[in-house]
Amino acid sequence: MPFIIYALLNTAFVVLISPLFISLIKKVKAYLQGRQGPPLFQTYYSLSKLLKKETVYSNNASLIIRITPYINIVCVIVASLFVPIVFIPGMSAGFGNVILFLYLLVCAKFFMALAGLDAGSTFGAMGSSREMTFSAVIEPVIIIVFAALGLLLKTTNLYQMFATSLQSSLLINPSTLLISLSLFIVLIVESSRIPVDNPETHLELTMIHEAMLLEYSGPDLAMMEISHAVKQTLLMTVLINVLFPWGLTAKPTMLSVSISIVAFIAKGALLATAVGIFESLFAKSRLFRLPNLFMLAFFFSFSTILFELLK
Amino acid sequence: MMNLLFICGLCVLFGVTLFQTVLVTKASAVTRRFSLWATLCASLLFLAFSLGIVLRNTTFTFNLYQLTGTLHLSFAVDRLAAYFMMIISLLSTTVCFYSLGYVEHHGSNTGKNFLVAMMSLFILSMLLLVASDNTFSLLFFWETMSLTSFLMVMFDYDKADTRKSGLFYFVMTQLSTVCLMFGFIAIYHVTGSFSIASVNVVSQLFKAFIFLSLFIGFGIKAGVMPFHKWLPYAHSASPSNISALMSGVMIKVAIYGFVRYLVFVLTPDPWWGVMILIFGTFSALLGVIYALKERDIKKLLAYSSIENVGIILIGIGLYLIFQSYGFTDLAMLALIASLFHCLNHALFKCLLFLTTGSVVNATGTRDIEKMGGLIKVMPYTGVIFLVGSVALAALPPFNGFVSELMIFQAFLQSFIIGNPYLKILLFLGLSLFALTSALAAACFVRAFGMIFLAAPRSEEAGKAKEVSRYMLAGPAVIATICLLLGIFSFQIFSSLGYTLPIPNMMMIGLTLIVTLGLVWLIMRFVSNRTKRTSETWGCGITSQNSKMEYTASGFSEPILTIFRPIYRTQKKVERTYEDDGKSIFKDAKAEIQTFKLFEERIYLPIAHAVQRLSTYISDLHDVDLDTYILYSFAAVVILIVAAGWFI
Repeated sequence: MPFIIYALLNTAFVVLISPLFISLIKKVKAYLQGRQGPPLFQTYYSLSKLLKKETVYSNNASLIIRITPYINIVCVIVASLFVPIVFIPGMSAGFGNVILFLYLLVCAKFFMALAGLDAGSTFGAMGSSREMTFSAVIEPVIIIVFAALGLLLKTTNLYQMFATSLQSSLLINPSTLLISLSLFIVLIVESSRIPVDNPETHLELTMIHEAMLLEYSGPDLAMMEISHAVKQTLLMTVLINVLFPWGLTAKPTMLSVSISIVAFIAKGALLATAVGIFESLFAKSRLFRLPNLFMLAFFFSFSTILFELLK
Repeated sequence: MMNLLFICGLCVLFGVTLFQTVLVTKASAVTRRFSLWATLCASLLFLAFSLGIVLRNTTFTFNLYQLTGTLHLSFAVDRLAAYFMMIISLLSTTVCFYSLGYVEHHGSNTGKNFLVAMMSLFILSMLLLVASDNTFSLLFFWETMSLTSFLMVMFDYDKADTRKSGLFYFVMTQLSTVCLMFGFIAIYHVTGSFSIASVNVVSQLFKAFIFLSLFIGFGIKAGVMPFHKWLPYAHSASPSNISALMSGVMIKVAIYGFVRYLVFVLTPDPWWGVMILIFGTFSALLGVIYALKERDIKKLLAYSSIENVGIILIGIGLYLIFQSYGFTDLAMLALIASLFHCLNHALFKCLLFLTTGSVVNATGTRDIEKMGGLIKVMPYTGVIFLVGSVALAALPPFNGFVSELMIFQAFLQSFIIGNPYLKILLFLGLSLFALTSALAAACFVRAFGMIFLAAPRSEEAGKAKEVSRYMLAGPAVIATICLLLGIFSFQIFSSLGYTLPIPNMMMIGLTLIVTLGLVWLIMRFVSNRTKRTSETWGCGITSQNSKMEYTASGFSEPILTIFRPIYRTQKKVERTYEDDGKSIFKDAKAEIQTFKLFEERIYLPIAHAVQRLSTYISDLHDVDLDTYILYSFAAVVILIVAAGWFI
């Protein structure tokens, strides 16, 4: 029973808060460029507007493009149960496994890439091709980052990982700093941000994620955007819960849950600001330069493993 | 009861073979159909037989035929053997069902009859091979299996391509038998018996020799890199139902042999596990990397089989490593993961080959760049193929995911091993394994996308029709099993008595369904539900055609560029100019070539060396009588000296 409460509360919170971080990053970038930027709730306005529009499908498109928004949103929502924000629930069979968490995200990506190919548009196909390429190249980094976390925290279950880091903050541990660098790079890559992808452009040859969504419209597009926002929040949460778990609680009481929600919004806003600043500092890099960035992340996380194994 | 099932199944399969061979020129479509139904029923009998043994964990013995005192065809089926017999019979059943529709599409009447006869014998020999309790009967059925599969690969023997592939396959398969024979004779040398029982080899060198010859022998058949080259040739040449059996089932039989010898016969040395892990990792990674560049769908699937055999070997390697350090629980996890992956790969690869057969039938080409848009004309085939791709790409909650998850779990626990170098090796292996699995997802996005999505890329693809219900039902059954095995994996393992640290996928499946229901309900109430179709947006170009679509080569180009050192791609650009100053282009030609590393660096040099040696030997024959007498004399002298030496 507590798990069902957790599931509902956590899901509702993640889905509601995610668009805020998207707007916040845009706002930070706008400030740094000397612009006013969109209002903080712009993403919510856009989403509600999209929900009211009609859906247009391509003549070439099949059922794939129609089922993908549902698969995407279901996968990220189920994945969101794996990263507790409101409180850490007790063990529940099946939830919290780190590999399952990652593969639910891969599942969403797989169908998004198929949907990119579905309409027969060159842009969509190019987006899918690049997305699958870079998701393949970043995969070893992700797995090594989580292996290093597992090594550090002596578990492969996300709930236990966060519970352990809650008891003893790892901020002072040098290994954690290395891991968090890699985690940050993973966050940038997986949420399609500069220098990997440019979330701002439409119809540029540089885009990856947006290209796959080009044929989407109306409520379907809204679902895809929400899934993307939620996915970004999930990766942010992993970083936050490992590095700065303060405020997070294992006790499901009204007070502690509200504290952890407030604390998360504050920490999330800080991290989103950091992402915004990071994006402003870099330019979109050449496509085939990107593996170098991934190698850097790989190096950081692998050296963590070396430290931990040989110390 | 068990005896009856076994004998009935055996007799029916052998009977079908005899019947079809005797009537090879006369049998009609009706008799063929009857024979296939009979094969199907026999497979079902074997399925019941093997399930009974797997569930009850008993042992079954049976003596078929005694040739001499030590050479006999006898069988002993324990849980491991029964498990593999279950894989064989389950897939044979579905393949037979598919073949009811498929065999009628190709070849002459005689060819079809012969194919049905050989298929039945092939299934029988695989089943009996796995059931064998001594090396003599194992080798006997190994050879039957190899020969029948060779004959089936040669089905289209009037094509030069097929003949070349068949010959390649034949040479490789005989090489594997020779290596196995070395291993078996070496074991016989130690124990003095042909039975497959625990052996204690004292000499380290001799033990290594036995291990390596068995590794190469079984490895060739399983398609481990660098002995893999026959797979893409043989699978693309043979009819699709046969490729399904060969790729789904036959290579698992080789894995069975390998596991049997490693777990029950030999006492592994620590370095074996490391070696198998390294070979497995490279097979997996290179397999998927080569699959990504293939345009021939059947070759793509063959390379993907190499990848999956690599994954199975990774599991076996981890098992040996953990076992040698005394972590029995983890070792069990890795071994069960690898055995489970055998079943899973057999299922989804069979499914993919069968649906590919339907697609190739419907479009008349194996080139995925000439397909496209098929999901609209062949919706059922498309959805079934999608299930296979999703299971192969290891996406939850399908079965492929569960076995890969178990291997990941085993890898992630490997920090408990004491040896730091080994730990580092294992973590490197983990990262390469993750890369493999992500590339497999990319590969099947490409395959499914190019075959089934967007607009048709050729006229034939536009005119394709959905296939008959037999050809749908076979793969559909497998697709259902793929899903069920994934969702109930935890329950299945616990009912067999293995409690493993894996998530309960039934809970996840349930959550996925509930979430889907909720999302659907919410969207129903909050969103606008008017829908309309229109043209794909093309920057203002209104009538786009399929030539403007992305191609399969285009899709994998970024991966080809990133992994350039592995593919050894060479870009050649030739330009001709209108004027002497080379400023106005007249014509240009560009091509990208990938270097066939294994063929040009390993296979061809060996083939050339053998050829040179045989030329030299045949030169020795080209002499007069005196020299022949000299040869005989030298031979006699050598024999006498050798006899004196050994006796």
